[in-house]
Amino acid sequence: MTRDEGRLASAQRLERAIGAVLRAGVTISSLCLIVGLVWAIAAGNGGVPSLLLQIGIVVLLGTPAARVVVSIAEYVVEGDWRFAVLTGIVLLELLASAVAALVFNRRL
Amino acid sequence: MPLVTPALAAIIFTAGAVSGTLGALLGLGGGVFLVPFLNLVLGFPFGVAAAISLTTVIATSSTVSAGRAGRQLINMRLGMLLEVATAGGSFLGGITAQLIAQSVLQRLFGIVAVVVAIIMLTRLRRRNVILDPAADPGILGGRYYEDESGATVSYRVRRLPLALGASFIAGNVSSLLGIGGGIIKVPVLNAWCGIPLRAAAATSAFMIGVTATAGAIIYYGHGQLEPTLAAAAVLGVQLGSWAGMRFGATASAKWLKILMAAVLFVVSAMMFARGGR
Repeated sequence: MTRDEGRLASAQRLERAIGAVLRAGVTISSLCLIVGLVWAIAAGNGGVPSLLLQIGIVVLLGTPAARVVVSIAEYVVEGDWRFAVLTGIVLLELLASAVAALVFNRRL
Repeated sequence: MPLVTPALAAIIFTAGAVSGTLGALLGLGGGVFLVPFLNLVLGFPFGVAAAISLTTVIATSSTVSAGRAGRQLINMRLGMLLEVATAGGSFLGGITAQLIAQSVLQRLFGIVAVVVAIIMLTRLRRRNVILDPAADPGILGGRYYEDESGATVSYRVRRLPLALGASFIAGNVSSLLGIGGGIIKVPVLNAWCGIPLRAAAATSAFMIGVTATAGAIIYYGHGQLEPTLAAAAVLGVQLGSWAGMRFGATASAKWLKILMAAVLFVVSAMMFARGGR
């Protein structure tokens, strides 16, 4: 296998892994949101429907982050340190947002 | 925070469906239509409107990219490199949005809406930049099978600092205003950085999930993301963009673009009228 073919094969593996993570995140969050929304409209907010809606939103917000984590793992396995570091920085930026969210939350 | 009723959920679901359809037809996320509807028509605080819209952006990005993954249309390496800039811009924008007044955000949205409308009008006849398929795409370039020409095309990335700068600004505007920011990135990547339009749009759609997440988390922490309304908007946008992609004839998008540019000029004027008070 030439260097070019090797690069293509690993790129395809990464794309498939990312596609699977995104599909799983969208499916789980959409199901939670549909059931939660219909339930909340039928029976009023609170209890299980509220919990389902919260789970749906959190899974939705977590899906791109999960995709970044999978990319880091793939790049580390490949030994592609340059991109492992770059995607690591992206994850740190997302964590910084989560920390900022907690700071704002405490203020309320 | 607006009181959640079944009627309000139905209105937001419908608004999401319309925005999603228009977004898919025009190659935008749809947030540029959803935010002014929620803020100006329904009277939600700007932050609440932006938070709902960012949630729909994440859903659209994940759905579209999951469908495209494995076809090499998304330039993952370029996307992940540019995400460093866009997530940083988004993080800073999310913090800034909590600190500046709604009227400033409305005026800023007014400016961006005019820019989007002008970009839309100047790109009525968009063209792809295709290079020699045998060319070496370099470390960041890409190669994909193009349906229109029935061949594998490749491209090199030029002017990377410009792409990074545009991504930073797009990220910043995204979390300040609740839009995806593709409207800023895609024209820059296509016109000046050598990336074919379809690859630029796919790569941008891939990136905006991370961009919007960095902003949405901050709104969520600040208690500005109402889960029931966000759910209604997300499901509406999912349905709308599915319908838009399935039934949308992109070739006849010219008049739609002119119409939408006109809508955006009106949105801009309304934002200035509200923001100027």
